[in-house]
Amino acid sequence: MNIAGIGIISTRGRGIDSLDIALRQGWIAPSQTKSHSNDQNVFYPAYRVKKETINDITILKKIRRADKFSKMAVMAARDAVIDSGIQINHKESEVGIILATAFGPHVTTFRFLDDIIDYGDGSVSPTTFSHSVHNAAASYISSLLNIRGPTVTITQFASPIHQSLILAKAWLTEKRCKYVLIGCVDVCGNVMEYICNQKLRIANDGKIRPFNFSASPSSVPGEGSVFFMTTLENCQNKYCEIIPAYITNCDTIEKSDINIIEADGMAGDETSYQNTAPVDVFAGGYSPIFGSMKIISAFHCTVSALMLKKQIRYACPVQDNPYDLNLITKTESAEIKQICCIRKNCANKTDIIKLIR
Amino acid sequence: MEDQKEMELPEIRKKLKELLVENLSLEGIKPEEIKDDEILFGEGLGLDSLDAVEIVVLLQRNFGIEVKDMKEGQKIFYSIDTLANYVYENM
Repeated sequence: MNIAGIGIISTRGRGIDSLDIALRQGWIAPSQTKSHSNDQNVFYPAYRVKKETINDITILKKIRRADKFSKMAVMAARDAVIDSGIQINHKESEVGIILATAFGPHVTTFRFLDDIIDYGDGSVSPTTFSHSVHNAAASYISSLLNIRGPTVTITQFASPIHQSLILAKAWLTEKRCKYVLIGCVDVCGNVMEYICNQKLRIANDGKIRPFNFSASPSSVPGEGSVFFMTTLENCQNKYCEIIPAYITNCDTIEKSDINIIEADGMAGDETSYQNTAPVDVFAGGYSPIFGSMKIISAFHCTVSALMLKKQIRYACPVQDNPYDLNLITKTESAEIKQICCIRKNCANKTDIIKLIR
Repeated sequence: MEDQKEMELPEIRKKLKELLVENLSLEGIKPEEIKDDEILFGEGLGLDSLDAVEIVVLLQRNFGIEVKDMKEGQKIFYSIDTLANYVYENM
């Protein structure tokens, strides 16, 4: 399955060019959000998507009611289609949409619940209700881009991107559609920050350290969206081939040019990452750019696709390296044929996504 | 009585404009840009039927006023002026 186009919205901006700039700039400190708990003087670091990043008036006029979750999804999906250069035949259902998320539009869902408590169920905003359902974003994409193929939202805690890749491959192989827009979206709100603060360790200095392999790692909540336009066909703007897999034993990881270690402090104990980066393979990890997210794999796949297309190794944004890994320490041209993104998920499995030039 | 109404109506109009812009996500429109006699639906401000339901909820939450008959709503929701008058009379 080939990646023909990419759309990305992150704390560092919109589009593949903004990602390239962010990767060259390296780590920057997250914004600090005031706590909504009893102690108003507590601030939490978070990598939020700035309002101006999704302030595209031409699109917003058509989706003015959409919440941040849907806006990020629509803009990334649209950018992926444009980036691919593929002209969609709108009369036929040749494009499918698979939107994957770990938490869905939970900010709106909680707003809806708050409104019931504050105003009673008779005075709840119908707009808030309609956006509190997980499929709202996929519906917006379908409507705005006039896509009439199969559309589904996958809400999965452990491996949302994996599930969507597997389903997309099935749709394409069955010829159910010619292209599949695969996307991952998650949003960060007060509830997420509270949960991260209560259940995980927050990195007070704002730095995620992917190579520390700590038993109690630190996280910085993040948000954003990534969409891939995928197809089995060879296409003009091909980034790379993408293949999902699961493994139980890290010794069986196929040797790649780069292993991307997706530790971001979100899945608890990270000690088992230790055997995922052999010394003869370059190790990378870019979660400090985006923040901690259950959908971080999608962002790492985007970085990998960009590296394969441009044939550039991007320096790791945070280079703390207590285990003396063969880290990518500077951004430079390189011959890269295969990258392996490795994530230990909360179901105690190792998710592997291979990206091949 | 009439003098008092004139005093309070501008405040109600201002409040209504702020509520509409904030809660109906009217992109690129500032509250002060909405004219008092501007038609809210269709060719005017461009609101639609979903916005009408949202306005019903806004009136209920912010002024404790219920609009149960949507036929009546067509007249009430014509402009900021008609809306403000309705709010003032039913507060």
